[in-house]
Amino acid sequence: MNLISGIDITADALTAQRTRLDIVAQNIANAQTTRTAAGGPYQRQVVSFETELLKRTDGSTAETVKVAGITPDPTPGQQVYNPQHPDAGPDGMVTMPNVNLAFEMVDLITATRAYEANLSFAKDARMLAQKTLDIGK
Amino acid sequence: MIDPIFQSDTMTMARKLMDASALREDAIASNLANLETPGYHRLDVSTDFAAKLKASLETGTLDSPGGGASLMPAITEDRNARSVRTDGNNVDMEHELLAMNRNSVEYTYLTDVVTYNIKQLKMAISGQVPG
Repeated sequence: MNLISGIDITADALTAQRTRLDIVAQNIANAQTTRTAAGGPYQRQVVSFETELLKRTDGSTAETVKVAGITPDPTPGQQVYNPQHPDAGPDGMVTMPNVNLAFEMVDLITATRAYEANLSFAKDARMLAQKTLDIGK
Repeated sequence: MIDPIFQSDTMTMARKLMDASALREDAIASNLANLETPGYHRLDVSTDFAAKLKASLETGTLDSPGGGASLMPAITEDRNARSVRTDGNNVDMEHELLAMNRNSVEYTYLTDVVTYNIKQLKMAISGQVPG
């Protein structure tokens, strides 16, 4: 018997949103990185989610969420004329990372809101479990 | 002698509705977790559960075998949810949070009903109002 059964779904959701926040942080931190281990400028990373069927011992199912993958955004980066830059090409152009700060901020806020929504569910589920324990009191 | 108290219509209904409420809480957890999963469709407790329960109460088959007591709520896809989102997901965060609040109130009410029934039984046994 699981008194707070919805919590395992919420835990997965919090992990998924946390991963997304981490990737947003990584994207913002590397908004100006023109040199990476793989060569070339930093490429913006995108997190995608997928559902996963959660089958319980009592036979009921629910859909939880998992990070499907972290993939690079293939959009080409902006070309900036800056001949003094060590990573400038022979024509003086530097390819900057394809990170758009406005997109990242929107992602940051959305992920934070989703994280908060799941947290408030955790609180609510705990309250209900408490109510169950108080039956008869 | 105790049977009529624990198998009264109110008690059976409260128990069944609490099952549904606990299951709905799971569905809401699932919906909130998948707020941003493309193609996800919102889940809810199947709407015919409450209707069947009501019907069995009205026909007096709540406690008979195969009647209301054997009804089990189930999670299904919510066919009434509409969405304008391009990713095919029809979960709306505000809607889910409100559904969660509503469900909490419903559940709390049901636990109170059960508690009240048990208190009545205690009162009958002891002859005193439980403190």
